[in-house]
Amino acid sequence: MTVERQPGDLHDALAKTIVGQENVLEALLLALLCNGHVLLEGPPGLAKTLACRSLAAALEGEFKRIQFTPDLLPSDIVGTRIFDQRESSFATVLGPIFANVVLADEINRAPAKVQSALLEAMQERQVTIGPESHALPDPFVVMATMNPLDSEGTYALPIAQMDRFLMKINVGYPTREEELQILDRFAMADTQPVRCVATLDDVRSWRAAAHAVHVDEKLKRYIVDLVAITRAADRVSVKSVGGATLKAAELIDYGASPRATLALAFLARGRALLVGRDFALPDDVRAVAASALRHRIGFNYRLATENVSADAVIDAMIAAIPAP
Amino acid sequence: MGTARPQTLQRLAVESFALSADTTQPQVEVPFHVIVTLHVRENVSEINNLQLPMLAQLELLGDERKTASGPNGTQYQELVTVVAHTDGRIVIAPATLQAIDARDGKPKQWFTNDLPLSVHSSAARIANGVAVGLFAHVVRILAALLWLALLVGAAVLTIFLLRRRAPVASPPGVPVSYQQAPLVSEAERRRHQIEDALLVLRAERTRSAAVRVRAAIWRVIGAPEGETLADVLRRPGCAEGDLHDLLVALERSAFTYDEDLPSSINDACAALERYAGSLT
Repeated sequence: MTVERQPGDLHDALAKTIVGQENVLEALLLALLCNGHVLLEGPPGLAKTLACRSLAAALEGEFKRIQFTPDLLPSDIVGTRIFDQRESSFATVLGPIFANVVLADEINRAPAKVQSALLEAMQERQVTIGPESHALPDPFVVMATMNPLDSEGTYALPIAQMDRFLMKINVGYPTREEELQILDRFAMADTQPVRCVATLDDVRSWRAAAHAVHVDEKLKRYIVDLVAITRAADRVSVKSVGGATLKAAELIDYGASPRATLALAFLARGRALLVGRDFALPDDVRAVAASALRHRIGFNYRLATENVSADAVIDAMIAAIPAP
Repeated sequence: MGTARPQTLQRLAVESFALSADTTQPQVEVPFHVIVTLHVRENVSEINNLQLPMLAQLELLGDERKTASGPNGTQYQELVTVVAHTDGRIVIAPATLQAIDARDGKPKQWFTNDLPLSVHSSAARIANGVAVGLFAHVVRILAALLWLALLVGAAVLTIFLLRRRAPVASPPGVPVSYQQAPLVSEAERRRHQIEDALLVLRAERTRSAAVRVRAAIWRVIGAPEGETLADVLRRPGCAEGDLHDLLVALERSAFTYDEDLPSSINDACAALERYAGSLT
C-alpha cells in the first residue's frame, strides 16, 4: 500500500532544519499550493536562504539565488543570447530565474528595470529572450527579500509591482528559546541535509486539491468585506504611539485591489489544505488576511508623522469586520 | 458541573417578567423584535443570571440591553432582533431568571410566559392582502351610512394608537411565575438548550439550520458573534472534550461543501447528543 504524501510532510521536513520562523515556512508552503510568490521583509541572518534551499531540496527541485545589486541587468536574471563563433550563430543562455525555487535577495537594491523584468517573469511564468519564449519550470516560486534597516541606495518597489506578490511576511528575530535551539542544531560542522519528502508532481497534485477546496458564500462575503474596508476605513480607529485616536481612513491613500480578494481566497484554500481540510473556515481567512493585505494598501505620510504602525492599522481593519 | 450556587445570585424583588414581540405574525425574511422585560423593586446597574430562550428556529441579528433605574426600582429590557427563514408556527420557550427572592430570602427561578408566533411567507401575505381587500370592498358596498364608517374608522385608529404604545404580544400585567426548589442547575439548563438545538437540527437538516444552531450554541457558551472558531476554542472549557468536538462539528456543518452537508449534520447531531449526555 502506498502512503499518499501530504503538504504537512513537507512542513515537518523543513521544520527539522529551520528553527521557529513558522510564518516563513507556512508562507513558502502556501506559495507552492497557491502558485504564488512571497515577499519577505526582515533583517539579514534570519534563515531566509536556508528556508528556500531546504524547500527546493525537500522537493528534489532546483534552487537559485540572485543577489540584487544596483548594477544588475535584466539579462543577468532572465538570460541572454551569445554569439557562438564556431557555429556562427546565436545561442541562448538561460538565466538563474529558471529554477523551481528562486531567492531574489534584496530585491529593492536593483533599479526598476531589473525589478520589472523579474516581476513580469513571475506574472507570465515565461520569459522572452530574443525571438524565443521560454516557459519557466513548474512549480516556480520566487521568494524576494527586502531589508528594512538599510534603505540607503535602494529603489522602493511600486505598489503595482508589490501587488504581484501573493503575500508579504514580516520576518522577526527568533525568541530566546529558539535561538538556543539554533545554537544546538548548528553547532556541528555538518548539519543534517534536508530529506526529500515529495516530488514536483506531488506539488502539482496538491495545487489541484487546493484549488478544489470549498469556500462557502458566507466566507466569500467576509473576504470581500475585508478588502472593501481597506478602501473606506472611516469607521475604524487606531491609536498612535502618543495615544492619539485617528481614523484609519486618514492614513490610507488607496486600499487593496481585487487581486487582494483573489489572493485571500487562494490563501484560505491553501491553509485549509495544509491542515487537512477540504473546506475553508473564517479562521483560515483571518489567519492570512494581514499577509495578503499588508503590501497592497497605500499608506500616506501621516502614518510616519503620527507614529502609527501599518500592521496596527491592518489589524484594526481586520478586527472591525465580524467573522461569519 | 455542579448546581448553581445561591450565594452568587442577586437579591431581587421581581415585580414583572415578560416575553413579548413587536408582532405575533412575523413574515419570512423580515426582521422583528423579541423583547424581554423585567421590573424589580431594587436599584441595580445590571441583571445577572437572566437566560434568554434558545431561539434556534430564528436567526439572531442583534441584541440590545437597556437598564433604567429610578425611585420605583429597575426596568430592564432586552431587545433581540431576529428573522425567520421558514414559515409555520414557532413557540419561543420562556426566558428564565435566577435570583434570591428579596421577599423571603430564598433562591428561586422565575419564568416569563412562552411566546407563540405564526410566521407567514410573503406569498401567504399577498394572498391574505388580496382577500382582505375584497372583504373591505364588500363591506364598503354594504355600508349604508357614512357616519357609521367614520365612527368605525375612529375606533380603529384609537385601537391602533393604543397598540403602538405597548408591544402587540406583551401580556399586560404578566403574572410572575416562579419555581421554588430545587433550583435548576446551570448544567441542567444548558442541557435543555442543547437538546432544543438537537431537535431543531434533526428536524431541519439544512445549512441554514446548521448556521442557526451554531450561533445558538455560541450564545449558550457566551461567545460573541464575530469571533472565529479559534477565538471560541480559547475560552475556558472549550479547548477539549465533548464541547470542543461539538464546536468543530458545527463549524464544519456551517462551512463545508454541499455534498458533505448531510454527513456533517449527522456528526453535529451526534456531537450535540454526546455533549448533552455529558451534562447529565
